[in-house]
Order: sequence, then structure tokens, then C-alpha cells
Amino acid sequence: MFNLIKKDLIILKVQLLLFIPFIVFFAVFATHLSPAFIFLLASIFIPINAYIYDEQAETNILLNSLPYTRQEIVAARYIGAIAYMILSIGVAGIILYLCNYGYTIRDIVIAVGLFFVFSALSFPLFYILKPGYIGLAVFVSFIVLAVVLPPIVQFLAENLTTITNFLTNLSAFTLYLSGATIAIGLYLLSWIFSRTIYLRKDF
Amino acid sequence: MENVIEFRGISKKFKEFSIENLDLQIKRGYITGFIGANGAGKSTIIKLMMNLLQADKGEVKVFGMDYFSHAKEIKERIGFVYDRNVFYEALSLKDISRIVAPAYKCWNNKQFKAYVDKFELPLNKPIKKFSKGMQMKASLAIALSHDAELIIMDEPTAGLDPAFRRELLDIFQEVMVDERRTIFFSTHITSDLDRIADYIVLIEKGEVLFNKPIYELKERYAIVKGSTNLLDRDTEESFIKIERSSTGFQALTNNVEEVKELFGDHVVMEEASLEEIMFYVKGAHSQHD
Repeated sequence: MFNLIKKDLIILKVQLLLFIPFIVFFAVFATHLSPAFIFLLASIFIPINAYIYDEQAETNILLNSLPYTRQEIVAARYIGAIAYMILSIGVAGIILYLCNYGYTIRDIVIAVGLFFVFSALSFPLFYILKPGYIGLAVFVSFIVLAVVLPPIVQFLAENLTTITNFLTNLSAFTLYLSGATIAIGLYLLSWIFSRTIYLRKDF
Repeated sequence: MENVIEFRGISKKFKEFSIENLDLQIKRGYITGFIGANGAGKSTIIKLMMNLLQADKGEVKVFGMDYFSHAKEIKERIGFVYDRNVFYEALSLKDISRIVAPAYKCWNNKQFKAYVDKFELPLNKPIKKFSKGMQMKASLAIALSHDAELIIMDEPTAGLDPAFRRELLDIFQEVMVDERRTIFFSTHITSDLDRIADYIVLIEKGEVLFNKPIYELKERYAIVKGSTNLLDRDTEESFIKIERSSTGFQALTNNVEEVKELFGDHVVMEEASLEEIMFYVKGAHSQHD
């Protein structure tokens, strides 16, 4: 399975070269953005690119003809995504630090949480939808979410005082703990869901 | 004799096509040619063998094992070649071997390099810039470099020029020097099989019309030529198809013994090609329907 995870580094050689300038670009030009958003972008960069790359080629036929089980192929995706997320956030952290772009551990924690939620929602699409459209669908929905979500949260925060009161009354620890539980829980559910679909798939 | 692949009561439904209750056995240690018209179900059956498709009903066994609990052990021992490129197009053969090699326990890099040299393949050029023949050779080099016992190929000779087709058939024969090995390949160029196949499986609309050793086919079927006045209502019964001309008749029989007895030295018999056999057996089959 480690080989399946390593495979993404081979197929994404060119994209990986773009990774560093991509982060530097944000660090230099997007100074008004939340650092959490940059960490989120960095963390999903490799996993999403790997999915998009794989669905263009006849990868399912190739991987399923090699001595891998279908369970392993899905597991490599979900475990690999976490590994690449940790690596990418590390690299992004160093780049942002070198570029004097201020951030805190809190930004990273939020980004990791959002990474789990975003991955949990988008990965199954690659197993459900027809190839060719998924990359586009994920890309568009990501942009839409990034534009639409903050005003909605703002609106909710201003108007639903009971919720915000409840949230602000929670201790930071409980808040983070429950956030983490929900995010990781979603990710695991998503994994089980993708696996169930992939096991039954015809290529 | 041992079967390397065994289908028992396989059913698989698609929107426009279905396979029902299919039985098929492929013998270990031989080259089996898999023939049938386009759309007869060749690729579907190959995908069922590779577990790329899962049967709705029935049992697929490869090396006597099922995919449910032995998927890895089975695939470890199979080399595959498909009718189109399944490797990452933008990658070079070197990168592809880096992805494929660690998947196999028995990957032999020396062997791979030897095939790359033999086929004169460039290691650093992206696969998409390979010609069809080179892509085929690249797949074959990979399929033959992990000591596979079963080589499954879907139309490996399609789109190749005749010279390379010949070369390829020679390679198959070299591969078969190892007695444990089995080659199963589909083709619609039946002249490929006249030269190298031991067994022929003919399918039509998802149904196996025959699965026989090639020598048996050649013994049973023959082209018969003779004078038209030998033909009457009774003697015509010995033939599947008769063509008459001013100089005489030419016909295909599936009962060489009977024809010999009936006509003796009055007719000339020639070996029937697989193409002729395939054509007439299909014709006879659809008449029965």
C-alpha cells in the first residue's frame, strides 16, 4: 500500500514543482487572506491533484490489474491524503515563516479540520461521478464554498445569537475536541462509503 | 489436465449485452486463442478473468483460487496486455516501471531491461509519444518481467503491422518454452492463431461455440474440391457450405472421415483455415437459433 501512496509523487512530479511557487504566490500577494485558508489549499493540493490526474488516465484498470486489492486502493487514497496533508502543511508553514506571513497554531488546526471535512465530502465524488467531470465539480464547488461560506457564517453569527452564545460558552478545549471528532468522524464515514462503492464497481 | 482459468455458470447483464450461464475452461501450459466478432463479448470475458468486472452470478477461478479471498495471489501471477494503453500517458517507461515494479514480489528488473533493449524502447520518452506498436511492446515488456505464469492479452496484435505481428508471435513461442506458462489472447486476426495456438475458443454473443484443440479442428474440418457431378441430394449432406463453379465445386466439411469414405480419390481435400471454420460455424449456429 505504501507503494500506492508513493505512486502519487511519481505521477505528480510536475505539479509538485508548482507547489512551492503556489504557496509563495499566496504568501506574497494574498496578504489579506486568512492563513488557515492557505494551509487548507496547501493540504488538499496533492490529494486532489492525484485524484484528478488518476481519473484522466485508465488508472482503475491499471491498478486493479496489478496485485492490489480494491480495499487497498481506496485505503491508499485516504491514508495517503493524511500523509500528504501533514507534509504539505509543514512545507507551507516553513514557506510562510520565511516570507514573514504571520500565522498561529490555531490557523493550522482550523485548516486541518477543514481539510478533513472537505476531503470527506469531495473524495466520494471520484467514486460516484463519471470521470472527466469530477475535477471540475470539485474545483467549482471549492471556489463557491470559499466565496459563499464566510458571509453565511457571518450571517449566522450575527443573527443566531443562541448558537453563538452556546459556542462561545464552550471552553476552547471542548470546542476543538468536538470539532476534531466531527471532522475525523466524517472522514472515516466517507472512507467506508467510498470503499463500499469501489468494491462493487465495474471497470 | 489442469485448468488455469475456470468459469462456472457465469452471468453478467449489461444494458445491450449479456452473458448467461457461461462455462469456460482454459488449460494450463498452452496457448489459447480467443476469437469472435467485434462485440461478441471477448473484452467482457477478459475483464471477468481479471476481476475488473464482477459476475452477477457464477464462479470465476484462476489458478484454482477465487478473487474474493485470493485477489493478490492471483494477480501476482498474471501478466496483462490490453488493447489500449492503460499506463499514464504523460509518464516515461522508466517512471511507469517505478510504479509497477514495487507492486510485484517477483519483479525482475534485469529481465525488464533485457526486453526494453530487445524491443528497442526509449526509457525516457512519454508513453503518449509511442506508436501503437511501441505501446504494445511496452505493455508486453512489463507483462513478461515478473515471472507471470498466465499472460492474458486483449487484442495484442490489433493495429500492428504484419512484420511486427510475426515478431510478436515468435516472442510468444519463446515465452512458452517455460512449461508452467499459459497464454490466453483474443484476436480477430485468425491467421495469427493458425501458427501458434494450441486451443481455440470461439464465442458469439456471449456464448462459447467451441473450445477445442486446434489439431482436432483441423482433423474434423476440410475444404473439399471436386467435379460437380459428384454432388446430389445425399452427398451434399456431408458439407456445411458448397460453392459451385463451371470447373467444379468447393465445399467445407466438418466430417472428413465421411467425405473420404463417400468420394475416395475423386475429390481433393485441403486443410481449412481457421477463418473459414469460424465463418461457417457461426453461420451454422445462427441457422439453428
